[in-house]
Amino acid sequence: MEALKHAIDFSDFPRVDLFVAGSVALFLVLFPFFPHSSFAMATMIQFLMFSLYGMGWNTIGGYGGQVDLGKAQYVGIGAFTTAVMLIRWDIPFWISMPIGMLLAVTWSFIIGYPLFRLTGHYFAIATIATSLILKDLFEVWEFVGAARGLEILPFKYQSPDFLRLIFKEDVYYYYILLGFFFIGLLYVNWFRKSRLGFYLRSIKDNEDVARSLGINVHWAKIKTYAIATAFVSLVGSFHACYIKNIEPEDTMSLDLSILIALMAMLGGAGSLWGPIIGAGILLPLKSYLKEWFGAKAGLVGIDLIIYALIIMLISAFEPRGIWGIIEKIRQRRRR
Amino acid sequence: MPILEVHELTKDFGGLRANDHISFDLERGELLGLIGPNGAGKTTLFNCLSGHHPVTSGRIVFDGRDVTHMKAYEVARLGMARTFQVYAASGDLTVEENVMVGCYLKTRSMLKAKAAAREILEGLNLLELAESKVSELPVAAQKRVTMATALGTEPKLLLLDEVAAGLNPDEIEDIMTGIRHIHSELGVTIMLIEHVMQLVMNLSQRVIVLDYGRKIAEGKPDAIASNPDVIKAYLGERYVHEQTGGT
Repeated sequence: MEALKHAIDFSDFPRVDLFVAGSVALFLVLFPFFPHSSFAMATMIQFLMFSLYGMGWNTIGGYGGQVDLGKAQYVGIGAFTTAVMLIRWDIPFWISMPIGMLLAVTWSFIIGYPLFRLTGHYFAIATIATSLILKDLFEVWEFVGAARGLEILPFKYQSPDFLRLIFKEDVYYYYILLGFFFIGLLYVNWFRKSRLGFYLRSIKDNEDVARSLGINVHWAKIKTYAIATAFVSLVGSFHACYIKNIEPEDTMSLDLSILIALMAMLGGAGSLWGPIIGAGILLPLKSYLKEWFGAKAGLVGIDLIIYALIIMLISAFEPRGIWGIIEKIRQRRRR
Repeated sequence: MPILEVHELTKDFGGLRANDHISFDLERGELLGLIGPNGAGKTTLFNCLSGHHPVTSGRIVFDGRDVTHMKAYEVARLGMARTFQVYAASGDLTVEENVMVGCYLKTRSMLKAKAAAREILEGLNLLELAESKVSELPVAAQKRVTMATALGTEPKLLLLDEVAAGLNPDEIEDIMTGIRHIHSELGVTIMLIEHVMQLVMNLSQRVIVLDYGRKIAEGKPDAIASNPDVIKAYLGERYVHEQTGGT
């Protein structure tokens, strides 16, 4: 009960934040009613997916300061669990999603145990390595479609299929994802105030001090890593039903792992709004830059250069990301 | 039964012996000072006691349990808390949040942790700083916050590592008031490392002196102050003759 109360309690944020957050929430709920292109809808769905990835990443990477660059392996576990179960045994999303989560979390415990013996850069490198190894394994594993991957054939199902999450119209996907988005936000809002959340912040600051306060640092990291994994695996399962065509090269790529970490970091790691701001700014930017420069102007590649430039500018200006910039401006005003 | 028994504790770093067969007991409710020149092995001894360093040989019994090979967090859970010399406090968190990290050892509830933290802060006269970010506070206040955070774990024994270093006389007074409060009102046994003699000599009921990793003296503060071995360790051979030979 207390947990629920803390989850819906945002009172420690200034009023401006709450006003902006409320407006954004309202916009998200009403967005499908505004006239929009299918491209805009797809971008919004990507935004919600990356917000959720980022929220998950933020628990271990932001509050805990453990830079994890291997989240794509868990996207893969979630996505392939859901796809395999649907295609082979016609098991619906709502059952395969928690099973995928369970498998992903189990895997996260198995590799998290040795991984968290490492710190700093070595930890980051090791997460990349495990993710790539798992991707390679999936690419030769015939049961999950090997390198070809799996394809969910939508014409086999009657749209809208709420059990299997197969829809013709994106708006259904949008609202289901939006539901996950709000639940995820409330969860992280609770997490940051919970015992584990406080422990993580203490660990990020100084592990020796954390130990002297009775914190089992290794275990706290593993637990949080599992929480981050659950988020990512859920979105992975959703991704399988939404994209319908998944292959390891794509779903479990290093690119995806880095993008997840990057958006959360540039938005503002270790803050509640950071990952959402990161996804909210960088994802549309990426999509539209590609659309304008790549597709329309025929200048393929320029979009990536501009995108990279913006990322470099933000990280050079404020390592705590966009949220860090906002905080800085606020502090200056207060003085 | 003493709260802490240390038997022949030895700690080597490679070829360097930082703690050399140190033995002593610490009684419940005592306030023990640990002094010695720089590099005498005081902080190393703390690190061994609190489980932050693995011990080379010897035995540590805390509250009736052998903690020699326990991990730091296990020792902390048994009721031994400590502060660190160089570390101030978590800069990103507010004062209250820092103390709450400590308090979360005894409760899962945020409300209870918050209430416990407020109580500790009040006792140490830090309540008005509760909402400040620790990184924005002066060093003296940060030192008191580290003490408050350690207290959050509700320890039986508190190890304080140079909490008065670099403070001005007024701030040292404040720290001493804080230590007295923890010792007499909260009833916590305290062992403290300190170079500020005003503090050690005023507060300690007993003092242990380390030099080159060995215990060279132990006794009441005034006896320690006139102990030739201690004067030799601090000031050199010459001063022993001037001080004791002259009288």
